[in-house]
Amino acid sequence: MDKQQEFVLRTLEERDIRFVRLWFTDVLGTLKSVAIAPAELEGAFTEGIGFDGSAIEGFSRVHESDMLAMPDPATFQVLPWRSESADGPGTARMFCDITMPDGTPSWADPRHVLRRALGKAADAGFTFYTHPEIEFFLLKGQPAPGEQPVPVDAAGYFDLTPHGVSQDFRRDAITMLERMGISVEFSHHEVAPGQQEIDLRYADALSTADNILTTRHVIKEVALSQGVYATFMPKPFSDQPGSGMHTHLSLFEGDQNAFYDGSDPLHLSKVAKHFIAGLLKHAAEITAITNQWVNSYKRLISGGEAPPYVCWGSNNRSALVRVPMYKPKKSGSTRIEVRSPDSATNPYLCFAVLLAAGMKGIEEGYELPPGAEDDVWSLTDAERRAMGLTPLPSSLAEAIDVMERSELVAETLGEQVFDFFLRNKRAEWTEYRSQVTPFELGRYLPVL
Amino acid sequence: MTPFDSRGSGTGQLVRLGFQEPAATQDALVRLGLWDSGRPVDDGAGTVVTSVADVADPDLAVLALVRLQQAQADPSDLVHALCAHEGLRARLLGVLGTSTALGDHLVAHPDDWRVLLDDDLVAARPSRHGLQSRLLAAVGAPTGAELPWGTGGARASLTGAAAVEALRREYRRCLLELASRDVTGTVAVEDVGGELADLAAATLTAGLAVALAGLPHDATPCRLAVIGMGKCGGRELNYVSDVDVVFVGEPVGDGDDDAALRTATRLAAEMMRVCGEVAWPVDAGLRPEGGSGPLVRTLASHEAYYRRWARTWEFQALLKARPVAGDLALGSAYLDVVAPMVWDSAGRKDFVEEVQAMRRRVESTLKGDKADREVKLGRGGLRDVEFAVQLLQLVHGRTDDTVRSGTTLRALDQLAAGGYVGREDARHLADSYRWLRTVEHRLQLHRLRRTHLLPAPDDEVGLRRVARAVGYRGDAVTTFSRERAGYGREVRRLHEKLFYRPLLSAVARLPADQARLTPAAARARLEALGFADPAGALRHLEALTEGVSRRAVIQQTLLPAMIGWFADAADPDAGLLAFRQVSDRLGSTPWYLRLLRDEGRAAERLAHLLASSRLVADLLGRAPEAVRLLADDAELQPRSRATLESAFVATVRRRDDWEGAVAAARGLRREELLRVACADLLGLVDQEQVGQALSDVAAAVLSAALATATRKVETELRAPLPIRFSVLAMGRLGGGEQGYGSDADVLFVHEAHDGVADGEAAGVAFDVANELRRLLALPAPDPPLEVDADLRPEGKQGPLSRSLASYAAYYDRWSHVWEAQALLRAAPLAGDPELADRFLAAVAPVRYPEGGLSQESVVEIRRIKARMEAERLPRGVDPRLALKMGPGGLADVEWVVQLLQLRHGHELPDLRTPATLPALRAAAAHGLLDPADAEVLRRAWTLVAHVRNALVLVRAKPAVSLPTSGRDLDGVARALGYPADSQGDFLDDYRRSTRRARSVVERVFYA
Repeated sequence: MDKQQEFVLRTLEERDIRFVRLWFTDVLGTLKSVAIAPAELEGAFTEGIGFDGSAIEGFSRVHESDMLAMPDPATFQVLPWRSESADGPGTARMFCDITMPDGTPSWADPRHVLRRALGKAADAGFTFYTHPEIEFFLLKGQPAPGEQPVPVDAAGYFDLTPHGVSQDFRRDAITMLERMGISVEFSHHEVAPGQQEIDLRYADALSTADNILTTRHVIKEVALSQGVYATFMPKPFSDQPGSGMHTHLSLFEGDQNAFYDGSDPLHLSKVAKHFIAGLLKHAAEITAITNQWVNSYKRLISGGEAPPYVCWGSNNRSALVRVPMYKPKKSGSTRIEVRSPDSATNPYLCFAVLLAAGMKGIEEGYELPPGAEDDVWSLTDAERRAMGLTPLPSSLAEAIDVMERSELVAETLGEQVFDFFLRNKRAEWTEYRSQVTPFELGRYLPVL
Repeated sequence: MTPFDSRGSGTGQLVRLGFQEPAATQDALVRLGLWDSGRPVDDGAGTVVTSVADVADPDLAVLALVRLQQAQADPSDLVHALCAHEGLRARLLGVLGTSTALGDHLVAHPDDWRVLLDDDLVAARPSRHGLQSRLLAAVGAPTGAELPWGTGGARASLTGAAAVEALRREYRRCLLELASRDVTGTVAVEDVGGELADLAAATLTAGLAVALAGLPHDATPCRLAVIGMGKCGGRELNYVSDVDVVFVGEPVGDGDDDAALRTATRLAAEMMRVCGEVAWPVDAGLRPEGGSGPLVRTLASHEAYYRRWARTWEFQALLKARPVAGDLALGSAYLDVVAPMVWDSAGRKDFVEEVQAMRRRVESTLKGDKADREVKLGRGGLRDVEFAVQLLQLVHGRTDDTVRSGTTLRALDQLAAGGYVGREDARHLADSYRWLRTVEHRLQLHRLRRTHLLPAPDDEVGLRRVARAVGYRGDAVTTFSRERAGYGREVRRLHEKLFYRPLLSAVARLPADQARLTPAAARARLEALGFADPAGALRHLEALTEGVSRRAVIQQTLLPAMIGWFADAADPDAGLLAFRQVSDRLGSTPWYLRLLRDEGRAAERLAHLLASSRLVADLLGRAPEAVRLLADDAELQPRSRATLESAFVATVRRRDDWEGAVAAARGLRREELLRVACADLLGLVDQEQVGQALSDVAAAVLSAALATATRKVETELRAPLPIRFSVLAMGRLGGGEQGYGSDADVLFVHEAHDGVADGEAAGVAFDVANELRRLLALPAPDPPLEVDADLRPEGKQGPLSRSLASYAAYYDRWSHVWEAQALLRAAPLAGDPELADRFLAAVAPVRYPEGGLSQESVVEIRRIKARMEAERLPRGVDPRLALKMGPGGLADVEWVVQLLQLRHGHELPDLRTPATLPALRAAAAHGLLDPADAEVLRRAWTLVAHVRNALVLVRAKPAVSLPTSGRDLDGVARALGYPADSQGDFLDDYRRSTRRARSVVERVFYA
């Protein structure tokens, strides 16, 4: 047993932990959890915890396909909301890596997908950092099927609502996240009624992805404890903006920000420009991953903060890739912002494909097209055509079709995840297509 | 006695003395005042000239001497001293003849040669303390003050460029003294390394004093320890190499950590800069988190890192950690913290995997022409020795604290004393190591560059200088090359010596070794080598080596190497077990052990094959004599079909018991399968050849069985057969694409002789066909060959054999399109060849229909294929990994090809082949397929066919799909040439290749 594992076992004793939750995610980014008693943990470190992979979306198509969850002791955290009192018995969690029975990593494990992408970038000398802005809605309770969701308030962007639910909510949620070692950079009320934003501090992409999963869970837990319901659904209201997850990206070479070049007017290095060019060139192929649900596309085509056209701009909030204004003497914080992902993406896969697209741009030395200075929304279709602005896929079906032809995505996800993802999403689309929607009923029933 | 002779010319004499450029040398000697009128001016000068001639590179020495003399204020002084002072002669000329860099230093500092006058130089080596005082004094630090320990202690009075210049000069002077002793052979090679490490430590100390002088007075006080790592820590430094260090910083008293670390970082960075300009780059890359981690950490932060994050190689680096400068008390506190963790590291979860990976890295050969010239990284180089010693220390130092020295040679001694390494082996290895280090020192001294590269073979001057610098005279280069080859060989066998041979001492009594590895230590080592069941492995080793018989003695010399080869393959445990079984069977057969002992390649191949393939292990277990094949590449080449057929048929002809005859033929088949399997796994044949060879073997055994069945029926009839009879190959067999586990698909066809009734002919034909099948299906200890005639008209309901006329009538009236498709792969196999040809002529219009296929038939084929995809996929496995029926699998590609053959075979003769790949090539050549699509299909088909064969080799039984995990998968990946533990990459490549093929199939087959 190594020291890190010993540390975990000792903490279990000292903190009177009664349950240890082992967390991992399926291919779609749903958190899975298996609880074990502390006494079993020592065995879990060496042998792993066996489970039937065929029961988990995307892991295995075969019955009796044993897989192992190997807890990563570096991710050990006590869950603050599971302790009855400050020093009462508690619950802790660890993220797991998924392995095959012979101990080799499972290529269906989204963490492994991201690890491989990060490893490839590391071979080229780069570390990948991300900083997500997670948007979500707080609703008055979970709506029953068919019921309209009702936001908890009617406030707007940056509004401070005295004694508002959301105020307390954000305070509690952030406290809890900080207690779990997740640093929150920023939080505020977003544009739409009930909509909130929590920004996590930038960190290496794997930790960030772990943190996003934790954050989504914490937010749901805190909401429940306050009698409200939190949702990361990309677009719950037809007439309000959706919940995106704008993500800031940067590459470091050692302790140098590889995106920074003081001699460039935008302070962007060649590496950064090739990286952006890669994101743009492959934007359509990776959209099915960054926006993986039928509902995601209702956010993308609605405008506002969501970018439906493939372009970049310096501080242009309508562009797919925005280059934030350079702050003097902050070369370390040079970064770019990708605005397409939504809060319901699987962050492991999302970061993996963003990184891979950017790295491809670096490897192949893609030329960066001219930036878009205009608000892309205010242009006419003809103007956009004239400027060569291509749209992102407008539906899940289109996105899958483009992704299916992408060797880049196949290589990044690994063939197993690639294959599963396409099948799963095609099935989702087929099911959606067969639905008769309230729109149809409202429009056709009265007149036809 | 004098070598100079008044009769010869001056240049002639100099040539005899060994100067390469006699004219230039003579000019130089004249300018030095040592030479006149073709001879030395006097006896003293003569001595100087002969001394020059004896150094490593006399020409270099003479030129340097001229430059040095020109730099002198009083030119006669130097020459007088050389004539008068024997010690100076040896030291100064030795240095000048070895090192241009030190020659340059002497010219730049024209008085420095005088330090070499002191004969006491050789009497005692400088103390660590003495070196420290000299270098501190050079930068003007007060003598006798406390050494710098952070923000306190001796402070330099020189700063900036002046400090660097002064320190560099004194450093070079110390180096000059050491080099002069080194080249005159008065200091052992390990002491050179030790002294260089002391000099490095003193330089770091002086560098710290300089850094301290530049610190603002209000800097927060801190303590700073400099830990030497690598060769510096191990006291085995080179003349020129990076000096590896790690820094530990602490506040003074209860001060603030962060502020103290800021000061400490500034000190450390400045020290690194100063030393980098003075002597060599200081490399702090071994610190926690490497280049991206903070330069200085507190003790607690180091501890936290090593407890939580460190990898095995980082612990390996810590083996050599030693406080060298700064706060020595803090340095020892650091060692107290990390040392126990180093020795615990062998208990870490990933230790075995990481050690394996490190071992593979060490053993992976350098590429290119430089590999042979590398004394450090090349195979059989210094790193080989160092790495092996360190790994053994990690494995055994855990339980034995007597083997923990940071110095390679010392550690080797300790390992020998503890019985972990054979004594003789350790001694030989230490000799080789010393020799290689000497070469390395001499290479580096020349220009004081960090090099481990011998001069290129065409650089005669360079080679001669190195060879002579190492100490060879006469034909120095030849001697040097011979010695180098010898030492290199010695080191190359080091894994055998260090890792494997001592394992035997745990179970066998080896006379040369008094010390024995304990069973527990042996198990630990076997586990580190990748044996899953070390206790079982030890039992096998014991059984193989017990006793004093010749057999046991030979096994004792063989096994060390064999264990290594087993460890390199997919399943070491199975390999060793199989080897024991084969050896038990053949143990006393004289040629067996001789073959393994004398034909080095045979033993290595045997080990590799047994640990890679259960099929080979099974086949060899039944026919151990076939080990002979392994010694000779020619023996491993598949034999032609004609050769096989005549051999097989001759064998059955010699026997009169039908069963016995066919059993003998099957025995021959077993040997041929083994031949093909070995050639396949050893990479001597490609997959197309494997398919053809296996088809030929099947053809031969079927011919032999047919001959026997015919004779049996004829015996019963008491007459020759009243029919002609022929066996046609179908399916993969027809295409020459047989796999190890394939059935033999056949059709039987006969024709009655004139006057024989159809009914009688059919009866006889049935008897022959049936007997053939029966004889081949009899239980026997070899892999079964199932004869499958289900592709015949009406399948199982139809008669086993039909007459040619009956076939023609059937296909004319009833034929389904799938039957036409099956006939595409029909080819003559055994029996009457003329009948087979007429059969093929008769079915030609069926398989290559005039005008191609009707649209209905095309639709029909597509529907059949679609239905098969839905129904015939194996259950309970990932369909993507099904070899034959999976998407992009064998059937997908073959159906594409066959549809094209059915549609275009009538007009394109080269499309008419039963083999898949030639048909694919023809289709692409005629534009029926996009060449890129054809290439995608070819790759997928070849890969899947290869995987299917590899699965049988590894598992000894066929499989319908790839496993997703486990040793079998690892074994298959390795059989396809993937490195160990890359099952994931292999599966991903497999899925990618078949996915691409599938998308071609959807475009060209279904649309």
